[in-house]
Amino acid sequence: MTMLEVSNINCFYGNVQVLWDVSLKVEQAEIVALLGANGAGKTTLLNTITGLMRPKSGHVRFMGESLDNIPSHAILERGIAYLPEGGRLFPEMTIRENLEMGAYPMSLWKHRKENMERVFELFPKLKERQKQLACTLSGGEKQMLAMARGLMSNPKCCLFDELSYGLAPIVVTEVFNIVKSLREQGITVLLVEQNVHQTMEIADRAYVLENGRIVLDGQCCDLVNDDYIKKAYLGL
Amino acid sequence: MIITTILNIVIGGLIMGGIYAIISMGLSIQYGVARILNVSHGEIIMFGALLTWALQSSGVHPMLALLIGCPAAFIVGFVLHRTIYKRLKDISPTQGAFEGNAMLVSFGIMYVLANIAMMIWGNQQKGYSFMAYAVNFAGTSIPVNRLFVLVIALIVSVLFYLFLTRSRLGKSIRAASQDATAAMMMGVKINRVAAICFGIGAVLAAIAGALISMIYQVNTTIGLGYTVIAIIVVVLGGMGSVPGSMLGGFILGFIGSAVSYKDPSLSMVAYYLIIMVLLLVKPKGLLGR
Repeated sequence: MTMLEVSNINCFYGNVQVLWDVSLKVEQAEIVALLGANGAGKTTLLNTITGLMRPKSGHVRFMGESLDNIPSHAILERGIAYLPEGGRLFPEMTIRENLEMGAYPMSLWKHRKENMERVFELFPKLKERQKQLACTLSGGEKQMLAMARGLMSNPKCCLFDELSYGLAPIVVTEVFNIVKSLREQGITVLLVEQNVHQTMEIADRAYVLENGRIVLDGQCCDLVNDDYIKKAYLGL
Repeated sequence: MIITTILNIVIGGLIMGGIYAIISMGLSIQYGVARILNVSHGEIIMFGALLTWALQSSGVHPMLALLIGCPAAFIVGFVLHRTIYKRLKDISPTQGAFEGNAMLVSFGIMYVLANIAMMIWGNQQKGYSFMAYAVNFAGTSIPVNRLFVLVIALIVSVLFYLFLTRSRLGKSIRAASQDATAAMMMGVKINRVAAICFGIGAVLAAIAGALISMIYQVNTTIGLGYTVIAIIVVVLGGMGSVPGSMLGGFILGFIGSAVSYKDPSLSMVAYYLIIMVLLLVKPKGLLGR
């Protein structure tokens, strides 16, 4: 089943067009990577999917239903969790409070206790330290907490923006293993990344965004052998 | 003798500190979430004080007056944000422009409110006697109304703190003041929360006003002085930090009480000195990030 479908999106900041006729599809329980350099429009695309920005033309559909006029909090309630770049935790709140904020909409708030138990199973370290302020965590722990907070809404689909950014290689592996385990639980993942090497190892398919246009897409196993990808993104 | 002096200063400090803490928490929450440095804050305090006086002189108990004043203040704050500040935010090109414009608008609102009050009540001192008897404690006599005000101020501070840390709305307020965009991504309706914060700030101001009227004479010009104190406390405690405002309120209260013991007219001088030193040494405030 197609979980997420973006069709022919055109997006502007003022008069400047940043996305040109972008289309992509993510099937259920698939990890799809969205690759591209800084300023290619990756974050803009995620903002458009989650309703924080609206496209000038084009449509976003989730599980067959249009999201075009749905406010962003309602998009979250429908099952799309968005993990912004850098985690954007609430630094002066505890781990527990940060997690609670992940279940803020009323329909989710009622189930926050069960969801927290479920999330703690995936991140046992957070359970031990739930009373600690988020600003006291290390970079890797912050990213874990940000993922955990995203999962508090019990999402069907997760959008991750630059999960690996600024993390030590060993922590990146740990974080990516969690992404893989989400796929095993049937959660769909759209992964925006600059860390092309490691992303290709866990993703099923990938799209390459350049200057606001999708220039290439395909199965990751094919793309790693693509001459253009090799040259431009893998440095081979 | 020296012990009575210290006791007097401490009690005076606690009472002033309690009132300063309430008004500053109000200003702090308005700035923290709505990003408006609300210069008209003191006018709400003044309205709270004079409304309590007016109701009291027509036979309403001051605490009952508070029950009428709080919802009214909330509505005033909420509506002000919905009608003026939200629109201002929508038309301001940048966040910085909005903050500047909002402060200017709040100056305008300050004058409007001050003149409405002047038209209603004139400019005479107003006062009433409330619990005007004293208890003796360790050789010094303490007026009961001051103790009453202190207790109410502490209760309000604690309740407000519990509201911020325990309730869903309170958590969303703290989240919005720490990272408004991230809070929106979590599903917090940021404009609604900002309007609520503006209303809550006005409620705290009205409570402070009512408490002030119970122990001091009031008139329609007291507003600006309290606004200045609230701004000093908020800067002292750290912009947008509610625990900081509480701490800063009591610190300023104690200093004011100690200085007033020598000469009441010097307390404002002391406050400005503190803020000057603080801005040089720790510009982010005591608990600022």
